[in-house]
Amino acid sequence: MAALVLPAGLLVSMLLVAPMLLLFRISLNLYSPTEMMVEATSAANYLRAVADPYYRQVLVTTLLVATGSTLLTLILAFPAAYWLARMQSRWKSFATVVVMFPLLVGNVVRAAGWLALLGNGGAINAALLGLGLIAAPLPLLYNTGSVVVGIVAVVLPYMILTLAAVIESIPRQAEEAASNLGARPLTVFRRVVLPLALPGVIAGCVLVFVLCMNTYASAVLLGGPQFKMMAPAVYDQFVRGNNWPFGAALAFILLGITLTLTVVGSAVLGRRYRRGKLEEAA
Amino acid sequence: MHLPSPGRLAFGGLVSAAFALMLAPVAMVMVISIFAQEIVSFPPSGFTLEWYINAWQRQEFARGFLSSLQIATLATLIGVPLGTAAAFALVRAKPRGGSAMQTLLLGPLAVPGVVAGTALYMFYLRAEFWLDQDITSTLQGLVAAHVLLTIPWTVRLVTASLQGLDRAAEEAAANLGARPFTVFRRVTLPAMRPGIIAACLFSFIQSFENLELSLLLVGPGRTTLPVAMLNYLEFRMDPTLAAVATVQIILVAVLMLITDRFVSIARTV
Repeated sequence: MAALVLPAGLLVSMLLVAPMLLLFRISLNLYSPTEMMVEATSAANYLRAVADPYYRQVLVTTLLVATGSTLLTLILAFPAAYWLARMQSRWKSFATVVVMFPLLVGNVVRAAGWLALLGNGGAINAALLGLGLIAAPLPLLYNTGSVVVGIVAVVLPYMILTLAAVIESIPRQAEEAASNLGARPLTVFRRVVLPLALPGVIAGCVLVFVLCMNTYASAVLLGGPQFKMMAPAVYDQFVRGNNWPFGAALAFILLGITLTLTVVGSAVLGRRYRRGKLEEAA
Repeated sequence: MHLPSPGRLAFGGLVSAAFALMLAPVAMVMVISIFAQEIVSFPPSGFTLEWYINAWQRQEFARGFLSSLQIATLATLIGVPLGTAAAFALVRAKPRGGSAMQTLLLGPLAVPGVVAGTALYMFYLRAEFWLDQDITSTLQGLVAAHVLLTIPWTVRLVTASLQGLDRAAEEAAANLGARPFTVFRRVTLPAMRPGIIAACLFSFIQSFENLELSLLLVGPGRTTLPVAMLNYLEFRMDPTLAAVATVQIILVAVLMLITDRFVSIARTV
């Protein structure tokens, strides 16, 4: 019966593990304008990625956008998650589906929506012009702000669902006890809800940060041609530059940051969880 | 009657802002798709459905749509049985190295789409060289890539539904004289059913809307709907594209409604 795992295992090994090993090997090769690629075992591509000011800037932009978007997402998602988790009416599963729906609609569709909202003839500029608040359309698109808005909208459902699952497991009585003892709502949040929801906050932030780091559609469509993040930069090397070894190195730097964060995040969560268990046992 | 406190107002404001950010772009696309004028502007000069016809007449959208339907269907039909078998084996046989296997099968979710996409592209080019056969920009190449997306979702969802099954029910059936296959068909399989149905939904949609993995694997004559939309949007946003996007939104909504009749979607996450 254990053999039933083999077909799926083989498939993932062949279509994910083998290609990634190949990509890693390619990242150690060297680019040549005449031969495309020369076999080598060199770290030159990795060194160039961190030394070249242009690519260093791309990496810094990506990290800053991902950090800002993650924090903004956390601030926006926590109240929504709390509201969803504490909802008791029969609308609760409907509200959950409403949160999941945009997630399933796809990034390109939602980027199209932002283009229609933020463009020069878009809904927001039209409303402001109509109200006489501005004389000319505001340049809302093709800047860092529009990319962050697009990214936050994309990752919000992930954060809300992750946080709601954890908040739901916090007994209501803990909050009631605190407020009966005279704690104001903000104190209850700071001293009771937030500490107990911390595993969810960490898990949600790691997940969302990783998604932000790897943003493609929002960066390309809402940032415009001048705005560069890591994922589009990787593709450019394969589509336009034909410098496969360097593109492969950029991909592995992105993967390295992603995996490091995921591993560190789950290690922190694992330690907290075990410590909690120990206190329970004692 | 008392006025809401500033804290409550801030709380309500943040909740509304989160929902607005998530839903506004989806709603806006649907609204734009019936505006009469060709350039996105407000207020509309009238309403029309002609952009839907226009969208269907554009080859890249019609072909992309049919191609994405085909790829998503095939990837689901291949990936869900493979993932279900693997989840069943992992939960029931508890093989040695099971947790490593589980990590491997969930791997496609952990690796960024861009990285997996470029790796697969390089791999396909290498394989084309060895086999002397086209793989990139073929149906087979895209389906194989998309099966990769369906496996982690299936393993996760079916594992969850199997872990909820009490073995005692199966033992009772066996003690009452049911043969192993009958036990599987009448007890185990029905217990796995919600997981399998949810896996079909998520697999199909993950494949249908996937951009990153497909981006380098499409080519002349074989594109997918999200890639066709991205290429179009890099130049302009107009009601024709909004119509295409609206069709995708409606497709997802209908699939969710159908699935929700069999299994509570809200409980799958």
